[in-house]
Amino acid sequence: MKFRIVLALAIVLGVLLAGCQQAGEGSVLDKIQAANKVVVGTSADYPPYEYIDETGKMVGFDIELMEEIAKRMDVALDWQDMPFDSLIAAVQEGKIDMSISCFNYSEERDQLVDFSDPYYTSQDAFIVTDGFSGTFTVPEDAANFKVGVQSGTVQDEWLTAELVDAGLMSEANLSRYERVDQAALDLQVGRIDILMSDDVPAQAIVSQYDGLKIIYQGMLYTGPINIVLPDGAADLQAEVNRIIADLEAEGFIDALAVKYFSE
Amino acid sequence: MPNPILVVKDLTKKYGDNIIFHDINMTVNEGDTDVIIGPSGTGKSTLLRCINLLTKANSGQIWLDGEEITAPGYDEDEVRQHVGMVFQNFLLFNHLTALDNVKIGLSKVKKLKDDQAEAKAMQELDRVGLADRAHHYPGQLSGGQQQRVAIARALAMDPRIMLFDEPTSALDPELIGEVLEVMRKLALDGMTMLVVTHEMGFAREVSDRIIFLEKGSIVEEGPPEVLFYTPKFERTREFLWKITELYGKKESDS
Amino acid sequence: MDVGRFIQYIASGTAYTVSVTLIALPLGLFLGLIFSLLYVYGGKVLTRIMSIYSTVMRGIPPIVLLFILYFMVSGNINLSPFWAGSISLGIVSSAYQMEIIRGALLSVSGAQMMAARAIGMSRMRAIKHIIIPQAFRMAICPWSNEAAIVIKDSSLVYALGVPEILRRAQLISASTQQPFLAFIVAGLIYFMLVFVTNRLLDGLDKRMRIPANP
Repeated sequence: MKFRIVLALAIVLGVLLAGCQQAGEGSVLDKIQAANKVVVGTSADYPPYEYIDETGKMVGFDIELMEEIAKRMDVALDWQDMPFDSLIAAVQEGKIDMSISCFNYSEERDQLVDFSDPYYTSQDAFIVTDGFSGTFTVPEDAANFKVGVQSGTVQDEWLTAELVDAGLMSEANLSRYERVDQAALDLQVGRIDILMSDDVPAQAIVSQYDGLKIIYQGMLYTGPINIVLPDGAADLQAEVNRIIADLEAEGFIDALAVKYFSE
Repeated sequence: MPNPILVVKDLTKKYGDNIIFHDINMTVNEGDTDVIIGPSGTGKSTLLRCINLLTKANSGQIWLDGEEITAPGYDEDEVRQHVGMVFQNFLLFNHLTALDNVKIGLSKVKKLKDDQAEAKAMQELDRVGLADRAHHYPGQLSGGQQQRVAIARALAMDPRIMLFDEPTSALDPELIGEVLEVMRKLALDGMTMLVVTHEMGFAREVSDRIIFLEKGSIVEEGPPEVLFYTPKFERTREFLWKITELYGKKESDS
Repeated sequence: MDVGRFIQYIASGTAYTVSVTLIALPLGLFLGLIFSLLYVYGGKVLTRIMSIYSTVMRGIPPIVLLFILYFMVSGNINLSPFWAGSISLGIVSSAYQMEIIRGALLSVSGAQMMAARAIGMSRMRAIKHIIIPQAFRMAICPWSNEAAIVIKDSSLVYALGVPEILRRAQLISASTQQPFLAFIVAGLIYFMLVFVTNRLLDGLDKRMRIPANP
């Protein structure tokens, strides 16, 4: 827990210190085309959106989608894996050209970076153990339990804003995990009562971990997921949006969803 | 005509208000062995350190071989090559063998070629009778042997004068003799020496002149036979009587 | 995913861990040596500056410094996460290595300096030929600890996106849902690296020890 706070503090400090010396000349799209290469960041620890297969290769819904986008931009694709918390800062600082990592839109993030049009709409889910006997009818009921969530996700934001900051839930009852699989294990052994996550990984978790079930599904805070782009990169944004629209129209994205999210 | 190697004029050293010694005047002539005696804490060691510029005197002048080494801008490192110093606690370089201790000044300061430096270092070790200990480390040598290596180290630089700061005070009684023997030989060979010591036997037998220092100034100086048998001052007589009582026996044993 | 592949995937991060360490540790040693010499022999102002450097660098968690340095170092120069991470880690380590070497320098008695000056050595030569060789021997043991710390801290560069052992273990843990096995493998690799390093440095320490009679 402490580590997460330190990490967040570090990123903020780092960005603040580096902010003044950003090299900002030339558009990002021009740079990508000149280099004939797009550097895309992701946190490959979030199946089925992004993870590694048994050969160590990065795969997943986001990965395959991005590969198609790069193909249509006619540039090579250079993946850069890093922890989820580092991605926004990396886009801001120009370490990567963009990031696809199951990002939901949020106002706070929008102040730092830009978003593409949504390429998929997801839902939130609450997972409990089969033996769960508490009362859970509306999402706000989570306030009465020990809840786990992946740090920095929109679910984390929702819990923090709607429950903790609203005074419904004690901060001590909210455990923020670096990765969702850590939370799943803690749920199994009873360190937390409820795990809140995006619906798609939630499906994967209940199928992979014994004794877990989804108790609630719905669109709370989540919803559309987008590609994160550097702030003000309008031409790049237009290019990516155009490709996303094409892929949607062609049914490419639906086919990907079936491949990775089939329930 | 005696040739003065070292001339000290009005030398004063103080730490804050604490005067260590003041207005010291002395001359050491070529080939002479002068001995400084006096109670502990009268600034004898500090005086030696001021002479080879390891410590800065507050005022006064020093000439070495006719050149004023206290003149501003004078190269101190150069001076110390010509003034050999032997310390009470030997102060050999712990990480070097006896040979390398003697050699390092030759190769790193005098910039001799390695084989020349080595030959010269062996020669100096031989001079103090330790050629067979050349490859021993200080930790493997007795105190007396360490002090002899330290003497060889100083001699290797071909100094104009050798300063000895109580060279036998840190030694066990049975080891004092071998060090004094080396010093005696040096004096007979004509080395110019200024020695701070409590060894009255050595002082009486070897020295050309004894300087009695007390409370930071020279009380009396003169040839040993004068100082030992007909000193001008009662204080000198008292000190010599005490010191012979304390140290005299030891040396006659060894 | 079968276990053999899985171990292989994590183990292939060892090259990164070792490379990061092999850049950070010597860089930290180089800077640490210079800084410690400035600290001990540099006079009042430099001593003060070095003291502040040491206090600040050692008072901040390495991960925080890593990020600050990462964004500063590669703010103007376009460095890969690997190089930026390695250099940053080296800078972090320099403060610790500086303290180790400073302690070793101070543990060489001042009288050794005096003896060196007495045969006409300049201060610089005395430091180079007399003080540093002795300090070096005293520094091996504590330095061995710092080497182990840098090996372990090299895992922090995962946060910048370097696919070293820890990050690979995380990815395996996420994709196989077997965190225990993944982290055991990572832990064993780190342990082996630290163990071998300490053994080598122990050997060096024994070999460099100055002979003395018991």
